[in-house]
Amino acid sequence: MNKQAQDNDEIIVGMGELAVSNQPSAVLTCLGIGSCVAVCAFDPISRVGGVAHVLLPCGENASTTTPSKYANIAIPALLNEIAKLGGNKSRLVIKVVGGARISTAPGFDGTFKIGDKNVEEVLAALNREKLSASAMDVGGEKGRTVRMYLDTGKVVVQSVGTKPKEL
Amino acid sequence: MSAETTKIVSKAVTNAVSGLSGMVGKEVHIFDFDLKKVKVKDVPYEFGGPEALIVGVYLQIKDRNGHIFVGYEPAVASELINMLLGQVPSSMLELSEMEQSLLGEVGNLMGSFFLNTLAEETGISLLPSPPAVMIDMAGAILDVPLSRVLEQGEETPIMTARFGTRDQHIDGKFLILPIPVIK
Repeated sequence: MNKQAQDNDEIIVGMGELAVSNQPSAVLTCLGIGSCVAVCAFDPISRVGGVAHVLLPCGENASTTTPSKYANIAIPALLNEIAKLGGNKSRLVIKVVGGARISTAPGFDGTFKIGDKNVEEVLAALNREKLSASAMDVGGEKGRTVRMYLDTGKVVVQSVGTKPKEL
Repeated sequence: MSAETTKIVSKAVTNAVSGLSGMVGKEVHIFDFDLKKVKVKDVPYEFGGPEALIVGVYLQIKDRNGHIFVGYEPAVASELINMLLGQVPSSMLELSEMEQSLLGEVGNLMGSFFLNTLAEETGISLLPSPPAVMIDMAGAILDVPLSRVLEQGEETPIMTARFGTRDQHIDGKFLILPIPVIK
């Protein structure tokens, strides 16, 4: 779903979803992400921002309700939606969060390594667009909640048992 | 969902919970049993929402895109450990290897009893992976299985069963997604 913030409500960006806004009071939020990756992009001049909640590295068929299911499709879709609201690709400040390996239990044949692959593909997809992340908080073994505040573009990350930190 | 599927799944979860009863030496009941279709992204709300802190035991159904999950609130998991091990964990955020192993065994027993019943009733071979014990936000813990399920479609049939003792010392939720195809 390409959600657009209408007011100052927090916009929850669910699994595979994408949200964009030009409302300074909007807060774009991904709750409790583990292996998923939140790609946060903000144009500080037009103050347009967007967040893609990416689930998997690569795929071909993303639906209109989950355009961010795959990293390779999510990044172009995010840039496109930001451009529609007047954001300029060359000015985007991009921050990448997530891709944790929540369990290292044996016997899962790399199942939990999907987070590493998600991060790799997000960075590769950004690279194909001649973009790079200015800050990252990726990997580890803890889940994260990510909030992007569109009044400033500030991105705040919080894990269980830790204080929120600005990225 | 056919009546036959409901009957078989209900029998399987009843056996899973009776396995837990035997392990803890207390009568464990099923308080809510539900078979339903939900949006994949909404599954974490079965455990209080994506940010809710839970203790989860995860098993894959081998060679199938099937997932078993047993979730508890941290205080309940602590009580369960105390019941079985005779000592309260010093921190639920950093369980010892033995405490994790114990919770893993409880999940393993429930998952195995569930799958064995399905296999007996249907003739389909269904084997669980080893258990993975995780303590984190529900959304984070469920990300990996939900990503796999979301690849197949945005909605999925799930089974949830809340189980516990009447004194609420045990109170957990057993989740299967998607429900294995039963013909």
